[in-house]
Amino acid sequence: MAKIAITLEINGESHEALVEADRTLLDVLRSELGLTGTKTNCLDAECGVCTVLIDGLAVNSCLYLAVAAQGRAITTIEGLAPAGSGLAPAGEGRTPAGTMHPLQQAFIDHGAVQCGYCIPGMILSAKAYLDEHPQPSEAQIREALAGNLCRCTGYQKIVDAVLAASDRMAAGTVAS
Amino acid sequence: MSRFEYHQPESLQDAVALAARFGAEASFLAGGTDLLVQIERGRIAPRHVVGLHRVPGLAGIEVNGRITLGARVTHRSIERTPALAGALRCLVEGAEVIGGHQVRNVATVGGNLVNGSPAADLVPCLLALDGAVTLLGPAGERELPVERFLLGPNRTARRADELLTRVSLPALPPRAATAFLKAGRRRAMEISVACVAARLTLDASLERCLEARIALGAVAPTAVRAHEAERALEGQPVGPETFERAAAAARAACRPIDDVRASAAFRQHLVGVLVRRALARCVERARLAA
Repeated sequence: MAKIAITLEINGESHEALVEADRTLLDVLRSELGLTGTKTNCLDAECGVCTVLIDGLAVNSCLYLAVAAQGRAITTIEGLAPAGSGLAPAGEGRTPAGTMHPLQQAFIDHGAVQCGYCIPGMILSAKAYLDEHPQPSEAQIREALAGNLCRCTGYQKIVDAVLAASDRMAAGTVAS
Repeated sequence: MSRFEYHQPESLQDAVALAARFGAEASFLAGGTDLLVQIERGRIAPRHVVGLHRVPGLAGIEVNGRITLGARVTHRSIERTPALAGALRCLVEGAEVIGGHQVRNVATVGGNLVNGSPAADLVPCLLALDGAVTLLGPAGERELPVERFLLGPNRTARRADELLTRVSLPALPPRAATAFLKAGRRRAMEISVACVAARLTLDASLERCLEARIALGAVAPTAVRAHEAERALEGQPVGPETFERAAAAARAACRPIDDVRASAAFRQHLVGVLVRRALARCVERARLAA
């Protein structure tokens, strides 16, 4: 059972890795590729901190084999801000701050981040949902985020931030 | 070192050939939300994992009189298929309460069946719709009613060298409606404490039940049909008295356990309540559609 050479398309870039067949996408992102914005916790699809987008859909990367993620478009929290926004991974163009994704900006504006551990997953779940449902109700947002736990229990501000981001995105004042 | 070797067949024939070659040492991987947890917890240790992602023809939903759900159809795609939003609505209601979006985006119908959980929410729906699974093995295909496919907790009639390729449901007659209701300890991300799927066909007057199906989840070693409850409904006027008789029969059909989620007695109580509500909902829906 030799290692397998895989190519993953993450945030629009090709990444190569040599991995065992049983490694999860979460593990490869963090341990092989240094993309530690995606968090690790329950490994059981309960908490959602490992959420990434695969072909635009929110998925628990802790229960997704890296070998099975080949040929799919993977988005992690590192890829959410437009390139060159200052939030891109180290080594990439660092130009004007303040051009982050509307969801990221709204989370900051609403004080929705406490310890921060759940936030990458929260934001990616919210993005996947808003891409499909641009103007959701508060109840719909809560349902959309049901698979993401915040153990600081700061849900109200998170929901407020997603609502505000959806307004801004729908109004077209900020490019999504 | 990897705990298993990964295979990515690109045809049904190759997938089944791998299963025939490795037998009980192989597991098929669809969405992975059950399989990878079981491997991680050491409950199973397959030496070979056969990924189905590249096998064509397993992810389609066909509604053409008869309804066919491919094994790799996700809960998400059931939720979003308009043809399932009418009389077949119990499928949508069963799909949309499983896990969070992250799970529903990848977890499949085939996985829900093959995993054999007594609390799998889609399974009572498939029972209420007279579903039958197709199993493809080295000797060809065989079809088995879902009711006979389920043998016990985590046990099904699938042989190690067989791949569940699809579930087929007969077309519903006119004036038929379905409903699925689930009770959990909270509203999302919860394993059912008890769940009920119901199907009623009304006569032309919309007052009498012609045909009924009641299926129960999480209250027996497998999801089960409540045949006596169905008999209490068929030919009878629809309404609270008939529904109470059906609910009593459904309570009697339960063999629930006490566990961390609820006591057996409470599960039995819930089944009665859910059956009554699901039947009322079916009547409402059948009349609205007529």
